[in-house]
Formats: sequence, C-alpha cells, structure tokens
Amino acid sequence: MTITQITAEDIPVLLAGAQLLCSSAGSIALDGYRTAIEEVLRRNGPVPLVALDDLPPDALCVSIGALGGFAPMIELPPNGDEGVLAVRALEERLGRKVDAIVSLNSAGPNAVFPVASAAALGLPLVDCDGMGRVLPLMIQTTYALAGLPIGPLAGVGLAGDVLVLDSSEHRSELLLRAAMKAAGGWLLCASYPATVAALRPAALRGATSRALTVGRMLTTADDREALLAGLTRIMGSRVLGSGRVIELGHATRTVGPRIYPSVPTSIVVGEYGSAGRLIRLEGHSELLLAVIDGAVAAAVPDVLCLLDRHELKVVGMESVGLGHHVDVLVLPVSPMWHTPAGLAMAGPRAFGFPVRHPREEEA
Amino acid sequence: MSRSRVPEPLSVAELLHFGPLAKAQVFAADDLDRQVAAVALVAELDQIHQCEPHSAVVLHGAAALGAWALESALRLAWERNAACLLAPAEITVTTPTAQLAERLRVPLFVVADPARSALELAAAISDTEAARARLTARCAVLFGERATARDIVGVINTEVPGVITALVTDDGHVLAGRSAADRSQGSHRVEVAVPGPDGRPWATLVAQLAAWSPSWVETVRTILRLARAPLAATVGRAWLTPVFQAAKEKLLLHTLLTAPDATVERQARDVGWRLDGEHIAVFLKPSERVPGPAEVATPGVVVAWRESFGDLPLIPREDGWLSWWTAVPGGPAEIATRVHDHLAAAALPIPLVAGIGVPGKDLPGLTRSISEAILAAAVASRPGGNPVEQFGDLGPRAVLACLPVDDIAAAARVALVDLINAPDAEVLLTALTALLDCAGSTGQAATRLGVHRNTVLGRLERIRARGIDLDSPDQRLALHLACYALLSADTPT
Repeated sequence: MTITQITAEDIPVLLAGAQLLCSSAGSIALDGYRTAIEEVLRRNGPVPLVALDDLPPDALCVSIGALGGFAPMIELPPNGDEGVLAVRALEERLGRKVDAIVSLNSAGPNAVFPVASAAALGLPLVDCDGMGRVLPLMIQTTYALAGLPIGPLAGVGLAGDVLVLDSSEHRSELLLRAAMKAAGGWLLCASYPATVAALRPAALRGATSRALTVGRMLTTADDREALLAGLTRIMGSRVLGSGRVIELGHATRTVGPRIYPSVPTSIVVGEYGSAGRLIRLEGHSELLLAVIDGAVAAAVPDVLCLLDRHELKVVGMESVGLGHHVDVLVLPVSPMWHTPAGLAMAGPRAFGFPVRHPREEEA
Repeated sequence: MSRSRVPEPLSVAELLHFGPLAKAQVFAADDLDRQVAAVALVAELDQIHQCEPHSAVVLHGAAALGAWALESALRLAWERNAACLLAPAEITVTTPTAQLAERLRVPLFVVADPARSALELAAAISDTEAARARLTARCAVLFGERATARDIVGVINTEVPGVITALVTDDGHVLAGRSAADRSQGSHRVEVAVPGPDGRPWATLVAQLAAWSPSWVETVRTILRLARAPLAATVGRAWLTPVFQAAKEKLLLHTLLTAPDATVERQARDVGWRLDGEHIAVFLKPSERVPGPAEVATPGVVVAWRESFGDLPLIPREDGWLSWWTAVPGGPAEIATRVHDHLAAAALPIPLVAGIGVPGKDLPGLTRSISEAILAAAVASRPGGNPVEQFGDLGPRAVLACLPVDDIAAAARVALVDLINAPDAEVLLTALTALLDCAGSTGQAATRLGVHRNTVLGRLERIRARGIDLDSPDQRLALHLACYALLSADTPT
C-alpha cells in the first residue's frame, strides 16, 4: 500500500515505528510533545508524502531534525512552529524558497518534526532520510557521506532563538552543540539544503513510509512470532538471541576522544537454557555492539534493539532491568553504510570500539 | 640428574602457585595444566590473531577497554589455543565474563599491572629450573610446619600444580590424600616408598601427574621424597598416642575392678565409662596362637573398634581387650551379632575372637560379666570354637576351656600309658569317656555310642584290664579330665 499523506492519526503510529530504529535509545513517552505535533497537523491538514523521484531535479529540499536531549523535550514541548522559523531563516540566507522538507533521520522523535514542519509550512514531505536509524551526531548522515554540505543551516531554540550557521561540518557540529546547551537543551535545525538531483545519490528512500508500516505492526501486534516474521519481511531483521537480562553495567570504556554526548552502558542477556550463550550489548545512549560469547555478532551502524518478549514493545536502555525477558534484534541498515566510508563514519571504530564490523570480516 | 636436558615449559598452574601469577585473581581455574610457551603483550585485540599457540596473552591499552573487550579477547585466545589470559584490574570481571572463561576453558587472571606481569612471566618461563627449585623449597618449608600426615599430603595436593597425591598402604588402604591418585594407572604416576618410624616399609606416596615431562617428574619425585621424613615422624606420634592412652586405661580398669573407691569411679566416669545400669562385657582375644605379644596390635585393634562402635571403650588387658555395653535392648545375642559383624568386616591387624558375658547390674555385675566374657573368649579361641561365644550359652563348661589342655593331655599320656598303648586305644578312650559322662551307666553309654550294651560291657572289661578303675571316687574326676584333654588336644594320641 502506497502512503501518500500523513494525518494527525498517523503520528502515534509513526512514533512507534520510529522507536524501533532508535537502537533502544529513548523509549520514554513523549505525550505532550506528540499532542503538540498532532495539533499542528489538525490545524494545517494532512502532509503530502512524496517520493524523491516525483519532484523536479532542481527542487530545493532541506532536512529537518532536532539535536538535544529527551529531558528538555519533555520539560518544554515544541509548539510546532520552530520548523517555520528555521526554514524561513535558511531561505533568507540562501535567497530562494524551499520546495520540500526531508527528514534528517526518521527515527525516534525526529521522525515527526519534519512532518510538523511540512504541515506548518504547507510543503510536501519527501519519503527519505539521511540515517535510516538514530546516530548521535548531525554529521553522521548519508548526506554527508555522499558529499552534501551540512550548511548553511538554521537552528531554532526553545525560546525562539534563531541561529544561522555557515561553517565546515565538524565545526558546525561543535558550534551547534554549544548553542544547543545555551538555548536550553535542544535545537531544531534545518540543514543539508540540497536539490533533488543532489539528494538522489545521498538519501535513503522510503524511510518515513517504512517507519509507518512498522509502527502499524508494532501497535497492533499480539503474536510474537508474527511480529518477528513481519519485521524480518519489512526490515530484514534477525533475532540474535532470546533470553533474560542478567547484568547491567556502566564499566565500559572506549578509545579516542569523547565526542559523544552520552555515557557508556553495558547489558548482558543470558540465553535461555543451561548451555545458553552470553549476549553482551555495549552502547552509549543507543546500542552499538553485540558480542556473543566474545565474538562480535553485530555492530553499529546496523540497528540493535531489545524487544520485550511479553509486551511486544521495544525496550529502551532507560527501562531495561535485570530479569527482563527480551529478544535481541539486529536490523541491517542501507548498504551505503556498509561501504568503507560509511563504516569509517558510523562503524564501531567511530564509536571507540576497536573491532571490525561483521561485514568487514566477511569481505 | 642430567644437566644437558632442556627443561619443559612451565604450566599455568606452576606460574600461578609459585610464580608471577601468585597474587592474581583467578577465574576459570579448572584447566591449569597447559604449558606456557610464550608471553604476548597485546594492545589491540587483532594482535591476538598473531599469537603463538600456548601463549600467555596479556591485555593492556585498547585491548582492555571493558568487559566486552575482555570477552572478545577470551574468544580470540580460545581460537588461538592460548594457555591463559591476563587482564588489568580496571576491568571488573562479573559473573557472565567468568562463566564465558569457564565455558571456553581459558584460564583468566586479573592483575594490577599487566605490563609488569608480562615481564615477570617472560622471566619465569625463560628460567623454569629456578621456578621449580622455588616450588621445591616452598614445599620443604611447609612440610616442616605440618603436624599430621593428612596435612603433609595436603601440602603436595595444594601447592604442587597438576598433581594429586595419596599416602597408600600396601593393601591399598588410603591413609591420607586423595584416593583418586591411587586409581591412576600407567606412566603418569610417581611412587615413593615411605618408611615407618621403625624404618621398616610402611606406606607409599603415590602421585598422579596431569602433565608429563621428565623434568617435571623429577621435581615431583624430589618433593615426594622430601615428604618422607616428616610423614614418618607423624606416624610415630600417631602410634604413640593410642598406646599411651591404652596403658592409662588399662591401669584405671584394673584399679576399678580390684579396689574400687569414689576417686577411681569418678576418674572412670571422667573418661566416659558407664558404671551404672545393666552391663554386658565383651572380651576380644587373639584367635588361636598369634605369635608375639598381642599388645603390639593394640593401636590397630582400638582404631578399628572406634570406627565400628564410636566412643565405646576398648581397654587392653592381659591377652586381650575389654569393652562393655550398657543398657542394650537386644541383650547378649544382639551384641554377639554386632561384634561378629565387626570381626568379620573391620581391618584388624591380627585375627580376633570374642567372648560375651551375661548382663550384670552396676559395678559388681560388670565385674562378673567381665569374668564371664573372658572365659567365653577363651572358649572361642580354642580350636573348634565359634568366633564369638556367649557365656550364657556355655555356662560352667567354660571352665573346661580354661584348663591347660595340652599339659593335662601330656600327663594323661604318662598316667594312662597302658590304655593309650592298646591297639584299640581310641575305641576304649571313647567308651571310657561315654561311661564317665553317663555316670557309669552302661545302658546310657551304649545308647550314646550307638552300640549294644554287651559291647560296652566288653570294652569296660578291656579298660579294666589296662588297670583303670572306674569305681574309685578319688580317681574318677582325674580320669574324666584326662579323657577330655586327650580328646581335645591337638596332637594325636
């Protein structure tokens, strides 16, 4: 079924689907925030969802996505107009009108910001994104991988601060993070301004509609086997193992400079049965590495996630507890990420784990 | 010892017990017998791929980032057949990691300073002779500090890696150590004979080695030899203690039975003897004629008795050992069964028989029961006696058993020489005994012998013809005893 528009009713479904691609980051409820987005859609009507190829090659697109923490988002939900301010500021800087909105990453809360922005601006949303999952840095995108510049970009803070930034990728990330902290904890950004022609080799197609499809499955699932089979069909997911959480820790260190805004975490799942294998999951705010009996079984940028076996819901790192019965899933990401350049940008080594990605081992 | 031989590599266990790993925290320590051929200090996990098999892999730097890295290293070490893995103490080894190490059978050590440990390991494996000499010296020191055979054999079992040891008697009884050592067969076995305190062969130290190499065998043999003298010394102590105690109890019992007073009774109660109630005495006696004094067997007999009957006293007396039960529901029959089972099953230094008295109340009754038990034991020790005799079954017949039968028989052969020299001496002797048993009644004697009365009368005539007068009262008792002695004596008439 082709999805052509997104309505207010689709928002909870989209959020549920986007949750799966967070690699177990941030499973907290964002009710106030969701209500604000739904209100924007009700006020402005449904957002048309278009394929990249349906737009003329010279149409200008900008990526919408927020950076910042979940806690500030809960404390101060957006009013929905932040995207308008950001896009208008960027249009002014670029000297031309934006024709369509694309997602920075259609995972977690960032799946719905572009929808709200498109609704408020009266623009279509392009069914694609630049990550296919959650990654902690704004410069870890397939857009950047394909050579698109991140700027000029515009950021809008909670208090209506508008910031226009034109710098190199790495300096943009540093400056944005400093500004985000000063602005109150999060910033909505309009970045990676690019024509459709430039986006074609860079974007991951069908990201939003895939999140919607998976979200529909997760919100209606009542049979574990069927859900796992469905996820395999749609996402190519694989169950690494099933068992009980037997250890939670924070002892992991990584090499290299600490560029990530998060704390290392370690989760150990003991497989069922006396001879069960040991699945050790390492992460920051999201799961990054799965080591089974000492052998690397899966690693970022592929999505690792925990699924509650009884409630059939994604288990976040905040809510996982000892004794939790979980399935450990790995969802492969686009082959773009599995290229040497892709793995250099978002593979395990980029996160300080000096191991080869399983795809490299195969090569 | 050949000095030209190249010593075999040390095992992980050797490095652990007396080498640079002595202070390390140990996980998955079931498989420590593998030899360590090299040391590899690894800063990147990938470097483990290049390690030689049987290496001790030491992690530091980026290879020791956390539990996941340690588990990855365990896995790689397993793939490379490494001897063991060393990790820095910054990594907290939790249960799952320890379990993985156990499952992969890769010994895991946590050390404070990996680089320093790597250096020390390298030094140790390059000078194995010095390391083994240190082990030997350490064992020698510990032997001197241990007082019992069990502790001395224990030193070998805990300190010498990959070796299980037992102290075994010639008949296979394990005196100390791990009996598994004695079950091993074949070449992985080192034996050293251990003399007793008297210098005669007493037992054997048997060691089973998990790893086999000539220099290692030599080391183990040296350590076993070092254990011999301390073991002999412990045996001396162990043998003296029961002998000393037995001598004390012997004196106490003698006083109690011959001149009891309040002090003696209190002393007896203090050593745990029961003096009130219904007593049944048991007397153990060497079966038939055991050469030499029975007292040398006292420690063995007492130890065996305690194994069967716990704290029930067993006190040496002349020619045997005495005990008594108090308030036993089954009476002498029950005790006879238990003592019989004990004599049949226990590891006794000499064959024993037992006599059991009739129940008697308090100290006077005990004194009587003891006398009865001694008499019954005398019967039991005679040829043809049961291993356990109850005085209650024997009655006054027990008196006969106490007679010096051989002496009487020898005298009888002189006094009754005519009868004994008769061609039909045996027939006449049997007939004479039957007639005396039946108080001279020829009819009853004929019935008992299964012959006609006239036959008895005929034999009586022939007996009289040999100068024997049955009717003389002053001769009859002596004659009766002489007949029994002749029939009971071992030597043919």
